[in-house]
Amino acid sequence: MKLFRNSIIAASMITLVACAEKGPQEISVGKDQCDNCKMTISEPKYATQLLTEKGRLYKFDDISCLQDYEISNAETTVNAKTYVADFPTGDFFETNTATLIKGGEIKSPMGGNTQAFKDKSTAEKAAASLGATLVTK
Amino acid sequence: MKNTITFFLLLFLPVLAFSATLKVGKGEQFTSIKLAVAAAKSGDTILVYKGLYKEGTIDLEKSLTLIGIDRPIIDGNLEGEIITLRADHIVLKGFKLINSGRDEIRSVAAIHIYSSADSVIDNNILENNHFGIYVQRGIRCLISNNKITTNRGTSEENIGDGIHLLGSREIWVKNNYITGHKDGIYLEKNVKCYVYHNLSRANLRYGLHFMFSNDSVYTSNVFDNNGAGVAVMYAMNVSMYNNKFINNWGDSVFGLLLKEISYSKIKGNVFQSNTTGIFADGATKIDFYNNQFEDNGWAIKINSNCMENRVMRNDFINNTFDISTNGSTVMNDFRLNYWDKYEGYDLNKDKIGDIPFHPLSLYSVLVEQNPSVMLLFRSFLVDMLDRTEKILPSLTPESFVDDQPLMKPVNYKTDS
Repeated sequence: MKLFRNSIIAASMITLVACAEKGPQEISVGKDQCDNCKMTISEPKYATQLLTEKGRLYKFDDISCLQDYEISNAETTVNAKTYVADFPTGDFFETNTATLIKGGEIKSPMGGNTQAFKDKSTAEKAAASLGATLVTK
Repeated sequence: MKNTITFFLLLFLPVLAFSATLKVGKGEQFTSIKLAVAAAKSGDTILVYKGLYKEGTIDLEKSLTLIGIDRPIIDGNLEGEIITLRADHIVLKGFKLINSGRDEIRSVAAIHIYSSADSVIDNNILENNHFGIYVQRGIRCLISNNKITTNRGTSEENIGDGIHLLGSREIWVKNNYITGHKDGIYLEKNVKCYVYHNLSRANLRYGLHFMFSNDSVYTSNVFDNNGAGVAVMYAMNVSMYNNKFINNWGDSVFGLLLKEISYSKIKGNVFQSNTTGIFADGATKIDFYNNQFEDNGWAIKINSNCMENRVMRNDFINNTFDISTNGSTVMNDFRLNYWDKYEGYDLNKDKIGDIPFHPLSLYSVLVEQNPSVMLLFRSFLVDMLDRTEKILPSLTPESFVDDQPLMKPVNYKTDS
């Protein structure tokens, strides 16, 4: 009986853990650390996140940190999902649907100097006013 | 000798003869600084008398000397920059600059050097600005004796740095006091800069932040109670002498963060009351000499990707953990340090302990791998484990050792 109860508890624990929300998390500014450069994340609008196949979430303060991390940890980040912040709102969404603009007057923490936008026309407007160029994939 | 004197006279006479002094103030020649600047020629001096000036952005596009007398106040009215420097040989002294504007993307500063050589920004008070002093493409400039404070920063997001150097060379930053900004002093992509005797206190992120800045020196500074002390990242040949890193407390907070840095020297510094004194990740060929580590949680966390560092003649006093690392490879040299946890003896009286000291305790290794083990801190079980490990090392790397531990602290002197 005791074994049965314990196994139920164990099973429910496992399901709970498995059901935990998989996705980008809020950045807590000034507390969270960039997993690549160890700096505290201070500008969440430039922050990026990476969710590995196994469900581990890494946070970065700049798109260049994310790319560095992907290159230096190629085996664990294979098939990982990456997220960027929509610059006007700060909401995180998947990178492959984003329009990125780079350069010009944009200055991000680690020199990636890239902003991400959900909406392509907003991105074009911002690029024009900042002298940035659209990153073509 | 006579020839040289006449030569110098001839050289400077034209300057003495033709440079004018313009006065700004109530009842003076000019009532606004902008008018005086417009009327002045390169090489002129403008004296600004006491008063409150609200004129928008003052662009200096000539080599002028601006001197504030009885500390005139220039108010930026929370719109745009206050003074911009776009010429060489500008001197700015004795002003009080308040209320610069702010912008989400552009860096708006009270004093913004866009491009300037041999300029001096001395003895100013900067209050309530977004960025204090922003140097962009400066060469051989001196920034000294300024007091840079702000209360506007409620979070790291909405405030700029006290002194920000970008793409500049040979900038001297001396005797400044900086508080309330994001980073006290930020050096980005500079070479040959010299940061001396500044006090950076209670800034939101770092006291001093180095990025991609090679061949630089910072000495005799105090970094007190910042979000984290100092970060030196992606740089080569940085000398850090006689600084104080104190009171940097918090989760993942460091006195000094070294990330991807090489060929540097860390000498004569004091690390006191920090969560982690030094955190080194990817640091190679660095000499840690004559430093004092006192009352820290961790004195040094050195990741196993750090190579060929020498840690010699340092004092480790009253730290919870002296050393911690995250792997088993040891490629660093620890020698001749004083460890207050050392329990050895010195029979031949050469002031060096006769048995080696293993600074890495089993418990610190366990904590590094599994932070929640911290719950068992100071428990009997952990003491037992540590004692056993000392006698029969099993988990801690055998080669992580100080073969010549000192019996007495290095006779330590700080000049502050």
